[in-house]
Amino acid sequence: MTGMRRRVTIGFLSIVCLLFFSGMVSLVELSRLSRDTDGILRTNQRNIELAKTMLDAAHGHNVALIRLAVFGERQYDSLCMASLERLESSLQAAQHEALEKSFLDSLAFAATELRLLTDNYLAFGVSERPASKPAAAGYADPVGARWYNDQYEAVYERLTAAIKSYMTSTQSSLAPRTEQMKKNAYRAVTPVLISLSVMIAIVLMLFYFMSIYCVNPIVQMNKGLGDWLTFRVPFAVKGDLKDEVLELREKIDALIALLKQNKA
Amino acid sequence: MRVDVVMRYVGMVMLFIAGFMLLSAGISWLGGMDSSFYALLLAALLTALLGAFPLIFVEKKEQLTNKEGFCVVVASWLVACVVGTFPYLIWGGEFSLVNALFESVSGFTTTGATVLTDIEVLPRGMQFWRISTTWIGGMGVVMFALVILPSIGRSKMTLSNMELSTLAKDNYRYRTQIIVRILLVVYVGLTVLSSLLLKLAGMDWFDAVCHGMSACATSGFSTRNASIAYYNSPSIDAILVLVMTLAGIHFGLIYATVTGKRNNIFRSEVTRWYVGLLLAGAAVIAVTLYAAGLYPTFGTSLRYALFQFVSLVSTTGFATADTNLWPPLAVVLLIAGSIVCASAGSTSGGIKINRLVLAVKMMRARLRQQQHPNAVLRIRLDGVVQETEFLHTVMTFIVAYFMLIAAGTVFAALCGTDLTTAFTGSVAMLGNVGPGFGQVGSMNTYAELPAALKLFDSFLMLFGRLEIFGLIQLFFIKWWR
Repeated sequence: MTGMRRRVTIGFLSIVCLLFFSGMVSLVELSRLSRDTDGILRTNQRNIELAKTMLDAAHGHNVALIRLAVFGERQYDSLCMASLERLESSLQAAQHEALEKSFLDSLAFAATELRLLTDNYLAFGVSERPASKPAAAGYADPVGARWYNDQYEAVYERLTAAIKSYMTSTQSSLAPRTEQMKKNAYRAVTPVLISLSVMIAIVLMLFYFMSIYCVNPIVQMNKGLGDWLTFRVPFAVKGDLKDEVLELREKIDALIALLKQNKA
Repeated sequence: MRVDVVMRYVGMVMLFIAGFMLLSAGISWLGGMDSSFYALLLAALLTALLGAFPLIFVEKKEQLTNKEGFCVVVASWLVACVVGTFPYLIWGGEFSLVNALFESVSGFTTTGATVLTDIEVLPRGMQFWRISTTWIGGMGVVMFALVILPSIGRSKMTLSNMELSTLAKDNYRYRTQIIVRILLVVYVGLTVLSSLLLKLAGMDWFDAVCHGMSACATSGFSTRNASIAYYNSPSIDAILVLVMTLAGIHFGLIYATVTGKRNNIFRSEVTRWYVGLLLAGAAVIAVTLYAAGLYPTFGTSLRYALFQFVSLVSTTGFATADTNLWPPLAVVLLIAGSIVCASAGSTSGGIKINRLVLAVKMMRARLRQQQHPNAVLRIRLDGVVQETEFLHTVMTFIVAYFMLIAAGTVFAALCGTDLTTAFTGSVAMLGNVGPGFGQVGSMNTYAELPAALKLFDSFLMLFGRLEIFGLIQLFFIKWWR
């Protein structure tokens, strides 16, 4: 490739490369942003699911203990343990997955408290009462009911409050995460904006160079040639000419000289 | 004026800057490819592309006119400051557009003021880029390119004449090629020496090199939030005092002293004034601090006073103490030191001690002239008679300098800052010092200032670095024709 063609090709190739480059960068950054957004939404949804499971488990545990302690229905001890295990496994999952673990401290404490209280009751509280007491309608064990009211209810309320607080905390942590996402979006856009600015600068430079090295000389040559043909004004093109444009001027000069020679 | 030729030379400077970005990316890569690697690599690619583009179209020209040379120098500084923001912007963090521009201008002009509230959180690659900007700016963006890029050829003389301060040229009695080499040898030599000494004094290699580069450039950028106070080491303080003092002396004189030439630092009138001013100022501040009971012993007072005074007079801006808490006399002396600053031909900014000496001599001559109206009085500096026109230039510069400080103070006050912050901030920006007092004290940053003031301060830093008239001329349309 010769002079002018090579320069123009390189110029345009640079622009194409930059376009491709900024496109690729924006694609990569936007997919990263999309991944981040998806991650936040998934985490949030998972947290809500876990909180729901924990609330269900706590509720099941509460119902089982009412049946067990107040009405003396022993068959509910397995439901009681199963609910507790479900609660603990959900808590473990939350502790494993949570990005912000500090919210789970009070919940873990309340769950441990519940576990100790339940274990203690199942070990000693149940055995204190006659084993084969029938569960009749309207029957309520006054000892069990007092235990439930005095000890269990407060712990249960602390637990449900902790679960609700965990659920709302995950929601309230959305604000800083969104803020972080905004920053990430800014970071994602910045390289593209800079690439575009550089591209604009290059396009302007290309325009300028094309003007001074290509367009202006051709316009001048056209005018000079016209003047020579019409008024016989000597053909002279000023400026910094190069490559094919310079050759063109030299050839026109040679042609004019040849024409003058022929006339003479 | 041939704009295309100017663009070609500015492009070469940009390629040179892209090289430093690539070097910083290399540092990031060596440090386990931290989060700045991608930003630095991307910035290097974009800067290189932008710089290489004019080289494709514009052919090499051997001769540059003075006007073209001037444009190359000013445009190179401006473009360097703009492309210097690329790594910051791409990396993100605390760098908004205004913050990135401020940090970049502060780096290239060797001011060393920062808008970052937590510098230590920056990855190593970014830290190195930040220090690199000051190191490039210390010697001069174009001057560095003159040394590194061989293809500049005969244009070297025009460009170096434009880049070097008029005052700085006086002490050189060599050809341009040799002057440029002397500058590089002294600059690199001083950087290597200070880095080695700092390493021996207990810094790790990275910190030693970064602080060595920063001290030689009289920038004051540090890798630590608490600046040099972080190390709390008398030996590090002593090394930096020595390096900062040397970096404030004319590089030609340092070279002459090392090579055993006659016109060395011991015979230089300006250097005598400079060192005398440093010692006297530090002694008075030390006495003030000791009298105020801020430090337990006079030795400790002298240690802190000497470090802070040398740091501000040499326009470095490192800090070992919170000078906001110092007594008023000490503060006034520190502000005065920030205005006068070090010698011409060094990496420092400010009015420069040479101009102060000439101004004092002119005032003395004026008094004598009034006593003896017919006397023909000549003003000499280092034994050389100074021309009247040159003396006028000196006085014009001093007047313009104070006018800009006043303008900066008014603008800062308009933006809602207190008077101390407004005045000392303007002094620190125009003198390329870095820390001021009040909100912008030695242990504070410029982060809390409004965005408009940060932009204005960026211009003040450039005005200071290009010695005011360099940048002003660019705004006169008639000059372009």
